[in-house]
Amino acid sequence: MSKKIAVQIDDLTVAYNYKPVLWDIDLAIPEGVLMAIVGPNGAGKSTLIKSILDIIKPIAGSVQIYGKPYKKQRSLVAYVPQKGSVDWDFPTTALDVVMMGTYGSLGWIKRPGQKQKKAALEALEKVGMLAFKNRQISQLSGGQQQRIFLARALVQNASIYFMDEPFQGVDATTEKAIINILKELRKSGKTVIVVHHDLQTVPEYFDWVTFLNVKKIATGPVKDIFNDDNLTKTYGINYKVAVSQ
Amino acid sequence: MSNAQIEIQLIASLVAIACAIPGTFLVLRKMALITDAISHSILPGIVIGFFITHDLSSPLLIIMAAASGVLTVVLVEFIQKTGLVKEDTAIGLVFPALFSIGIILIAKNANDIHLDVDAVLLGELAFAPFDRLSIGDTDLGPKSLWIIGTILIITLGLLFTFFKELKVSTFDAGLASALGLSPVVMHYGLMTVSSITTVGAFDAVGAILVIALMIAPAATAYLLTNDLKKMLFLAVVFGVASALTGYWVAHVLDASISGSMTTVLGLLFLLVYLFAPEKGLFSVLYRQKRQRIEVSLLTFLLHLRNHKEKEERHVKHLNEHINWQKVRSKSVLDLALKNNMITIDHDIVSLTNKGKKFTTEAIDYIVTNKNSEIENMKDRFFLFRG
Repeated sequence: MSKKIAVQIDDLTVAYNYKPVLWDIDLAIPEGVLMAIVGPNGAGKSTLIKSILDIIKPIAGSVQIYGKPYKKQRSLVAYVPQKGSVDWDFPTTALDVVMMGTYGSLGWIKRPGQKQKKAALEALEKVGMLAFKNRQISQLSGGQQQRIFLARALVQNASIYFMDEPFQGVDATTEKAIINILKELRKSGKTVIVVHHDLQTVPEYFDWVTFLNVKKIATGPVKDIFNDDNLTKTYGINYKVAVSQ
Repeated sequence: MSNAQIEIQLIASLVAIACAIPGTFLVLRKMALITDAISHSILPGIVIGFFITHDLSSPLLIIMAAASGVLTVVLVEFIQKTGLVKEDTAIGLVFPALFSIGIILIAKNANDIHLDVDAVLLGELAFAPFDRLSIGDTDLGPKSLWIIGTILIITLGLLFTFFKELKVSTFDAGLASALGLSPVVMHYGLMTVSSITTVGAFDAVGAILVIALMIAPAATAYLLTNDLKKMLFLAVVFGVASALTGYWVAHVLDASISGSMTTVLGLLFLLVYLFAPEKGLFSVLYRQKRQRIEVSLLTFLLHLRNHKEKEERHVKHLNEHINWQKVRSKSVLDLALKNNMITIDHDIVSLTNKGKKFTTEAIDYIVTNKNSEIENMKDRFFLFRG
């Protein structure tokens, strides 16, 4: 089964203050997978996503989205940052945050109109948050905030979704709801890439996995490569302690 | 009112509006301190601009000042990026250095001009009507009115054009960057506008008070609304209201205009901080007190439900069984009675049917980890709140 490559990364090296956080990463992510990026704290998981999205400039290497640089393919990509990366006291509503997902396709200066609002409302409905559309975002629970972020990505109607720890600090119901939406995305042919912490749920949630710890350890189908060997290589000999945390 | 009085109030109002707009975004970006730095470090820019043109009202002064304002931001970020010191320390290092360069330049070369240190720090709105713009014999009004008016129009134009971009890059710079709406451009754009506004306002209110006009109205508005557009609008209203009130306070007290304006801003913030309906100090305290009583009430009802034996339900013994130091037992008992949750018969407390129902539902929510539902439940059951 030969699949198109959605994301191709070659020789990617990223450094903060001359200290490499990602070292010579080669990675090809096939179209239509639901992939987890796993690795210990400080492994560079978020950095990898951010450098694919051109938020962080790598010191070497290249990233291609369907064969072209990210800058030319923005409309194909949606991004869900870590929930903690924004100030939830910002004076705005759930609907408005979701509308922000449409800003990319609008481009500079143009303002969102009825069409964008309709798309945002639909996305809110998909994540079960329509009733909260006018709620100020600080008055939402952690799980609800994460759903809003997911809706904002859905509204972009992208081909590839990048998510940075979408399950962090959410309740079990929200986690199930989110993973169901992600599985639906995959079913409709989208590629979903998730930075993930909970190793126990990897086989249940994902069909593809990348082990990362500054270097790439392994990448491939969960059923083939999610094993003790790779876990030990990524987390060290005591990975089971890390898992049980 | 004399013409000069009207002109001063007009200038003060325009300055307030021009400051409140970038100020709102600075407050939301948690960059209030950077205005402090900018307002001081534009000084060398102004002085160098003056040396080049020998004209205090040349547009070059504004450009040079804006450039040194942006330089401040660049230097602060550069020092911060070394990872050796934190942002506040970097700000504290940069602006005194630039400001002192400005002071030395004035002292060495420009002793005889109006650029004295007092005017720089405090400004003097009362003199603004004397410096007039005229073409031939036609008087076009005070120069500072034209300067701040132009700056305000540019600011408003940029705000309307880039509102969406400013909003998303302020709320979520990562997303803005991924969407191709360069947050870096927005950042430096905002810094440039802030610097230019500071220069424009500088003549009227001075380097220190311009900070108050940028930050205080926005901070006050922040306490009152959950909508960015309303926050901008309220900040503008508070800015103008304080500017005008301040002017008349100064008039009555025969005191400094800029000083009075800032005092009014401070008082306005204090009032809102104390009395704002949701985020104000008193309503927060009130909510906390209510929360405490209601949690105690729930604990109390659960206790009653779990204990059939009379000695556990005796009014006198309740203090020992439930930790009620913080809330007076009486207020909890009163609340329970008012809401028909309990009956008291010969000092023995029993749950009513309503109390039983309430308690059962509450337990359901607690064991299924849906604590947030309890708030909604209280709305349904309570006739009176704690």
